[in-house]
Amino acid sequence: MESTGPSRTTAIALAFMAVIWISPFSWLFLNAFNPLSTGQLEIPRAVGLDNFALAVSGNAGRQFINSMLIAAGTATLSVIVGISAAYPLSRLRIPGRNAFLWTLVLLRMLPSAGVLVPLYFAAQRSGLLNQLGVIIALTVLNLPFTLLLLKNFFDTVPIELEEAAYVEGASLLQIITKIVLPMSRAGIAVVWFYSFTGAWNEFLLPLIFARVQDAFPMSVGLYAAFGQQGAINYGFLTAFSIIYAAPAVGVYFLLRRNMNTGFAGVGVKG
Amino acid sequence: MSDVSLRGVRKSYGSLEVVHGVDLDIKSGEFVVFVGPSGCGKSTLLRMIAGLEPITGGDISIGGKVVNDVPSPQRGIAMVFQSYALYPHMSVYENMAFGLKLAKTPKAELDQRVREAARILQIEDYLERMPKALSGGQRQRVAIGRAIVRNPKVFLFDEPLSNLDASLRAQTRIEIAKLHDTLDATMIYVTHDQVEAMTLADRIVVLNAGIIEQVGSPLELYRNPVNTFVAGFIASQRMNFVSVTPTGDGLSLPGNRLLALSHPQREKARTLGVRPEHLELASPEAAHFSGTLSVIEQFGEYALAYIELPSGDLVTIKLDGAPDLQLHQTIHIGLPAEGVHLFDEAGRALR
Repeated sequence: MESTGPSRTTAIALAFMAVIWISPFSWLFLNAFNPLSTGQLEIPRAVGLDNFALAVSGNAGRQFINSMLIAAGTATLSVIVGISAAYPLSRLRIPGRNAFLWTLVLLRMLPSAGVLVPLYFAAQRSGLLNQLGVIIALTVLNLPFTLLLLKNFFDTVPIELEEAAYVEGASLLQIITKIVLPMSRAGIAVVWFYSFTGAWNEFLLPLIFARVQDAFPMSVGLYAAFGQQGAINYGFLTAFSIIYAAPAVGVYFLLRRNMNTGFAGVGVKG
Repeated sequence: MSDVSLRGVRKSYGSLEVVHGVDLDIKSGEFVVFVGPSGCGKSTLLRMIAGLEPITGGDISIGGKVVNDVPSPQRGIAMVFQSYALYPHMSVYENMAFGLKLAKTPKAELDQRVREAARILQIEDYLERMPKALSGGQRQRVAIGRAIVRNPKVFLFDEPLSNLDASLRAQTRIEIAKLHDTLDATMIYVTHDQVEAMTLADRIVVLNAGIIEQVGSPLELYRNPVNTFVAGFIASQRMNFVSVTPTGDGLSLPGNRLLALSHPQREKARTLGVRPEHLELASPEAAHFSGTLSVIEQFGEYALAYIELPSGDLVTIKLDGAPDLQLHQTIHIGLPAEGVHLFDEAGRALR
């Protein structure tokens, strides 16, 4: 054992830092589980789930479903469109395909607020201002990265595996569904979860696109809930925030599991 | 079991022609090895037979039927890839059953064929394992098993042993030879390793820069190579080549020594080739070459001595046992007339 422990000053400084770090989170949790919350950082006098019950019912519940719909819809659509475009980009010798991909990524680098106005009018003209409109718009914005990621994953599937399957009588569709997709599982999961969190966190686009309260996702709902009933209901807001943050944590653990299992077994050397 | 024939088969990528008109008849049940340096077109030729590369010109027929436009699965071939190409997300059993499942083979027959192939290859114990849990040699067997279950007319092997280590390669080589005997199938095998070619083939096809240099049994190629390329490529120790000039009743060797030789085409000889194993040590008076020993490699049962001649040529001699020679000592070499190969200006053998 080493005898040189941390000095008292260091300990105090570290404890101070820790309190600063922890206080917003403890404030969030203490208020959320306190039915009589006042917005102060205090030990709750009662503990209950009333705030959570409030945060999943009525408008708030509707917003949770909207958020799920938008996030899962965007992720699924991004993956499907991404796969259909990335596979040919990975396998066919299209002249300038890399320049094409990086140009798309460059376009994506533009702040989404910059393309919001034309996007809005396009959606308005085609009558897509509801959740479906948000899903399509977010998918469009997602596609460059989705394409690039999926193409790189498909590139790692050795062409010999596809040739072997072809010689054995597999059609192109069978090669994709039975060989390429199962082997790119990790990549597809990454893209799905990445698009899911992106869409879940999206605020600006649904704010502009959702013209009725029924179409609000949670991000917009949280914004709208400030000062809605005159006084701020801290208990409701904190519970709502926790529910809003939960999927991100869930996605993190799912992603970690997939990343660990996905890449194994591609090697061919003896 | 089927014969395969190639008629004027050519392959170009854009304006670059890589296979320049190959004619070849492979008999039913024959084991033919395509051998040549990298980039000689041997793999391309195999892939054209497999239907993985379109043919630019000529005809390929399998079992008497031209298959130029027949898609790969209908050609009745099975291919074993250099990387084994096992599907990593499927068990050994599923890997072997994949093709049969696609062909909607009845379950009982499928199971029977997979187990039969597994029995032949002695991989019955691994059927439920994933490929990543297998060693290189076992993966190789699964890849071959996957070919066997489809009961093809022709087996195609694309450098199947090059990912294995040396001892396993020798062992698997013997197993492939046995397998050919058991299955009695037509096999076409591509390799850059002339040892595999010599040991496995009924007939070797030596390819170089997209053309066939020579076709023949291993011993024909060893004894009567048609040119310096084949002579230098076949056999484990490369043939020695020295330039010679014809004189009166023999050939003048480097160092102005004379080799008495009666050969009908002696006048045209420009290069003399002799295999290291045909050279022998000689007394200084009887020697045809004399030089200093620059390197000696001892293998135990034999040794390779590299002799540098005063002319700058390096001559390799294979000596039995473990000869006691000192580096830089002078070595005298005799050249037995029966080991001599003569080549003309263009490198063609003179018979």
